[in-house]
Amino acid sequence: MNASIGSDRLLNFIQFLRARDVAVSPADSLDAIHVASLLGYDDRQQLAQGLAAVLAKSRQDRIAFDVAFEQFFSVDVGQDNTQESEAVDRADARGDTDTHDLRAAQNIEDENRSASPLDTLAANDAQVAELLKSPLVQDLRDGQEANLALAIEQAAAKAQLETMQRFTQRGQFMRAMLDAVGELPLRQAAARLEHTEPEAFDELQQIREQLRSRIRNRIERGYLLHAQGATERFLDEALEQVRLSNVSPYQQARMRKLIERMARKLASRHGRRRRKTRRGQLNIPKTLRTANATDGIPFVPQWRQIERRKPQIMAICDVSGSVAAYAKFLLMFLYALQDVLPRTRSFAFSSQLGEVTEWFEQLPIDSAINQVNLSYGGATDYGRAFQDFNELALNDINSGTTVIILGDGRNNDCDPRLDLLAQIHSRCRRLIWLNPETRRAWGTGDSAMPGIIKHCHIATECNNLKQLQRIVDKLLADTRSH
Amino acid sequence: MVCHHYPQLDSVEAVKERFNTAGYICTQQIATVVYLASALNKPVLIEGPPGVGKTELAKTCAAVVAKPLVRLQCYEGLDEAKALYEWKYGKQLLYTQILKERLGLLLEGADTLQASLARLHASGDAFYAREFLEPRPLLKALEQPDGAVLLIDEIDKSDAEFESLLLEVLSDFQLSIPELGTVSAQSKPLVFLTSNDTRELSDALKRRCLHLHIDFPSIDLERQILAQRVPDLQQTLTDKLVRFVHSIRGLDLKKAPAVSETLDWARSLLLLHATDLDENTVRQTLNVLLKYEEDIQTADSQMNALLRTLESA
Repeated sequence: MNASIGSDRLLNFIQFLRARDVAVSPADSLDAIHVASLLGYDDRQQLAQGLAAVLAKSRQDRIAFDVAFEQFFSVDVGQDNTQESEAVDRADARGDTDTHDLRAAQNIEDENRSASPLDTLAANDAQVAELLKSPLVQDLRDGQEANLALAIEQAAAKAQLETMQRFTQRGQFMRAMLDAVGELPLRQAAARLEHTEPEAFDELQQIREQLRSRIRNRIERGYLLHAQGATERFLDEALEQVRLSNVSPYQQARMRKLIERMARKLASRHGRRRRKTRRGQLNIPKTLRTANATDGIPFVPQWRQIERRKPQIMAICDVSGSVAAYAKFLLMFLYALQDVLPRTRSFAFSSQLGEVTEWFEQLPIDSAINQVNLSYGGATDYGRAFQDFNELALNDINSGTTVIILGDGRNNDCDPRLDLLAQIHSRCRRLIWLNPETRRAWGTGDSAMPGIIKHCHIATECNNLKQLQRIVDKLLADTRSH
Repeated sequence: MVCHHYPQLDSVEAVKERFNTAGYICTQQIATVVYLASALNKPVLIEGPPGVGKTELAKTCAAVVAKPLVRLQCYEGLDEAKALYEWKYGKQLLYTQILKERLGLLLEGADTLQASLARLHASGDAFYAREFLEPRPLLKALEQPDGAVLLIDEIDKSDAEFESLLLEVLSDFQLSIPELGTVSAQSKPLVFLTSNDTRELSDALKRRCLHLHIDFPSIDLERQILAQRVPDLQQTLTDKLVRFVHSIRGLDLKKAPAVSETLDWARSLLLLHATDLDENTVRQTLNVLLKYEEDIQTADSQMNALLRTLESA
């Protein structure tokens, strides 16, 4: 088979994979082309396994790859010579199995055709006769699947079906493909015959409808192949920017997936960090090696131990009605990061405050969140909450602890007890206040934000997933380095 | 640089056949990847649960291509001094001592400082010479004149920093030694890395490797492996044994028995002259197959059901 066509298809496939969230770098594409040229296109199974070895980087990737490979390489019939001849072979094979039936059918068809209005008309009308002789019409009337599939594939390539992005573009591509496949003479003939020859017109319309339905199918498959990925990405992007309180229940599943993906990315970027200590067991080889420079006299001792930082996060979430939705996503994010932040403790409050860490460790995240809402919902009282928190956990806060408080800072005109907040501030490494309200609203009405800001290392607005991701990213970078 | 070719691995079928003769029954998947590894000169990253033959694959490969196997076992805290190379500091110290003694001889007749320095420079610097270099596995693998099989075992146990040390070796088959310059492979080794997936490896490392995920084998494949490795066991028993292990893997276990456990079990049964898989034999030997007390209890409690499926099938 023609190598350039092969690699074109392969690149298409890689595009297709990328739309399914499998990261493929240009170097990987080159490898894939090498692999394909080494293994050849004859053994489908082998090719799939070879390509998987260079393109799928993890188990998740592999699952996505297998599905994608099945989808991508099963749709296309024709397009290149081998596959076309295969299709013809298949048609032949079918013919062999039931030659008799096929012949019989053909005979009937022949008889029918001799009586069909279009054929009768063709005897007198040169234009119609011309039309009937065109390969496309002949194939349609004879049901030559392989030829039709080939013609439609070529039309798809001409109309650049792979650039389709949205489902609403179907009409546009339908027109483009009909033109590309050469339907225009059919359309013109139909317009001419519509009033003069109703019978022939009906038959012609049937043929046209046949063609249209084939093309419609091809477009729908093409959409599934190429555009679905793009649409998904579009939805994800939209979801990242929507206010978290506006995320509707049916989008929750997508949201969770999105959060998990973000968390995976962040976790791999901020992997475990270690740093060298200045005490512990002496590393003799290393010390002597450095001593070489000073004539064997060990001036600079080297140590074996490497210190591993153990960052701790304490998340305090307001779960009263106005802020509950945000708390949910913050907690989801933090617990998706268990790998890099294993020592997260979480607290929930509206007026009373309590530790909810256990629920998150034991229950699936959704039921844990429900449980939290059930137990701690109500009207907000920051003063009471800080008091409870300080009793519960103030002694556990040390210079490695980051405290995140999520709340709108609206205290129903009660005393927010900022002195207690100051205590937390003085003990912890970093105190971060996340407020779902826009910065402009801080300090209006009963908001205690102006006072709160003074006692925080960082106070920031956080109301969509993008902002949340940015904050968690900063948090990780900060907790992992000194 | 000579691009070494491993003629034993020049097609997927050849790989399959040669591995088979060497006693390793490989799936199409494994054969394809091994072939690609030798054809593209890329390292293979093998992932999968413990005991499915990841390490064995590399060993067999070394046997098939008849090249030395260089093995690097990874662990937490593994550093370049143990993986790449180390200076023989003791000898280096001795060398400086000798140099001091010989200094008079060397500088004899040089009356100005300039002249002595020139003499000193001319004599060459042997302090960081190749002779003082102690090669560790990675350097050793690169130095093999006719190629080698390099096995980097359990890469996930090492630290993330160590991965970056590997990158140069894996992509260019060379090693930069600051004092000496770059050492290139005399002939590119076949590299296998194994991982038990205890942590996510870095993208940079993954990008350089071919990926092979080995899972528990199918009933059929495992039967073949058993027949190959423990040929003395009766065929009916082998058959029962494999089906039993497969149904045990369906239980909710802390650690499901892998191929290596199946092999151990088959060998134990052979030693005990067992002819059939009855309840008694199974109970007595279950600890070969399962490594946790809880798992043994779980299997014990469902023993009847497990044995019944054996009869009905």
